[in-house]
Amino acid sequence: MILTLARREWRAGLLTPLGWVMLAGSQAILAWTFLQTLERYTGLEASKRVVGLTLELSLNLWGLAAALTLLSAPLLAARMFAGERHEGSASLLGAAPISLAELVLGKYLGLAGLLTLVCLLPPLMALTVAGAAELDPGLLAAATLGLWLATLMFAAVGLFASTLSAQPGVALVAAYAILILFSVVGEAKKVLEPATSLFDWLSWNEHLLWFLVGAVRLSDLAYYLLFSTLFLALTHRRLANRRLA
Amino acid sequence: MPSLLEVTGLARHYGGRPALLGVDLTLERGGVLGLLGPNGAGKTTCLQLLSGNLAPSAGRVRICGIDLVRCPIKAKRHLGYLPERPPLYPEMRVDEYLELCARLHRVPSGQVAAAVRRVKSRCALEDVGQRLLAKVSRGYRQRLGLAQAIIHEPDLVILDEPTEGLDPEQIREVRLLIRELAAHCGVILSSHILPEVQAVCTQVLILRNGRPVHQGPLVPQQELHRSGTFRVRLDRPPPAQQLLRLPAVATALAGEDGSLRINLAPGLPPSALARALVEGGWGLRELTPERTDLERIYFETLGLELRGPEAAVAEGGVP
Repeated sequence: MILTLARREWRAGLLTPLGWVMLAGSQAILAWTFLQTLERYTGLEASKRVVGLTLELSLNLWGLAAALTLLSAPLLAARMFAGERHEGSASLLGAAPISLAELVLGKYLGLAGLLTLVCLLPPLMALTVAGAAELDPGLLAAATLGLWLATLMFAAVGLFASTLSAQPGVALVAAYAILILFSVVGEAKKVLEPATSLFDWLSWNEHLLWFLVGAVRLSDLAYYLLFSTLFLALTHRRLANRRLA
Repeated sequence: MPSLLEVTGLARHYGGRPALLGVDLTLERGGVLGLLGPNGAGKTTCLQLLSGNLAPSAGRVRICGIDLVRCPIKAKRHLGYLPERPPLYPEMRVDEYLELCARLHRVPSGQVAAAVRRVKSRCALEDVGQRLLAKVSRGYRQRLGLAQAIIHEPDLVILDEPTEGLDPEQIREVRLLIRELAAHCGVILSSHILPEVQAVCTQVLILRNGRPVHQGPLVPQQELHRSGTFRVRLDRPPPAQQLLRLPAVATALAGEDGSLRINLAPGLPPSALARALVEGGWGLRELTPERTDLERIYFETLGLELRGPEAAVAEGGVP
């Protein structure tokens, strides 16, 4: 059942212009950044280079891809629960013999599948220079894993926000509000004295940075998995409450 | 053997406001329950509760003996639901959509194609299999809504205003389909159209302000024609006593507008009354069947004054 639901979301994403516009837009922006990074790198004298090409690409390209999935995930997620309620198709799923857990996981899997396509764009672009430059595959694999985990978290947040309203626009704003909060919470240490590491820990970009420099740490893995699970659990709770409310 | 549907003390509150209170009903296989009431009476809430889309604040719903709240997945396997707005995905094609619905209702993989073929034939959708749902007409959307509700051949079918937006021919087809469904399962339908409920339902539940105000069996339409009330206009009306002596007349009352309300004697056809009135030589000008049994019950239950059919149209949207 989970796969049936995921397949439907996957197909819906690829049958409507939104999915393709998102992919094409992401590819155009990433390609521009990729070429800029290469040009900057090859244009420098060897003595002035501080880091290798792999790290340059990882920080610029993979970092930008994370920002793009942060923007894309709520857009795709908003039509899942909020859009279905708005269109009236939610009652089909409500009357079908499907558990809420299956419903949440099916939608999440479909959404994650669509966003994974965006996560694959940076490594595919890096492959195009693999023959001409020495790249560190381990570092790129770590960066891709980090990007993918961060994207899974954005998808979970988007899905949760989608249950908050029957209006996709409201769900979208709610998702961006939560994600921006998780993005800037790390900056709190600059204004709060004494500096506390809790804000650092809550910020998704601090964790992604470790992946982008090639370090796969259990604490960072745990962070993304924990928050993805938390928001999926909240989505489940919210759907159960909506039947009661 | 448990009843197909058993509902006891069903209630639903929104905030502190009761939207539905104290609904008890039982439906057996072969029964068609008509849910009636003015707008805002709680019909859709009731159907959403019965379909598991909403959880009740109190009470119990059992489908084939399975509690809908405690074992929703098992209970919903026996259920098909057409909501007020057909639940469609505009980017899908008709065949894809029906296939998805079959899978969502857990039709075994090997039987999905056959289920889709069967339901397309039942709902006259054979010609639109490859059409996008966004491009189908209102009538087809309603048929698709019906098709998704019955694709898994459920024991209980819940239809919220199934003929809304259909043309007269399509309405007739849907009525036939409901009768066909009722041969082997139970059907609950809500409608504003009293003749439609009268035509297909075996029992009726009337709601007002979320509370049941009338519940009971319906007299079949054919019997109504045999023992109904007729409005009669005569050029030279005789005294009431003379009319009452006619074998076809059970009771006769003079109306305010100069017409007569005549109750047909049980067991006699309306033609017997027509013949007697013509043979009496009183100049028969009009012989019209009065309101059906259901219309009378509906308006009396809701406390609306029983006047002409035009007044009813203005008050309750009943054609």
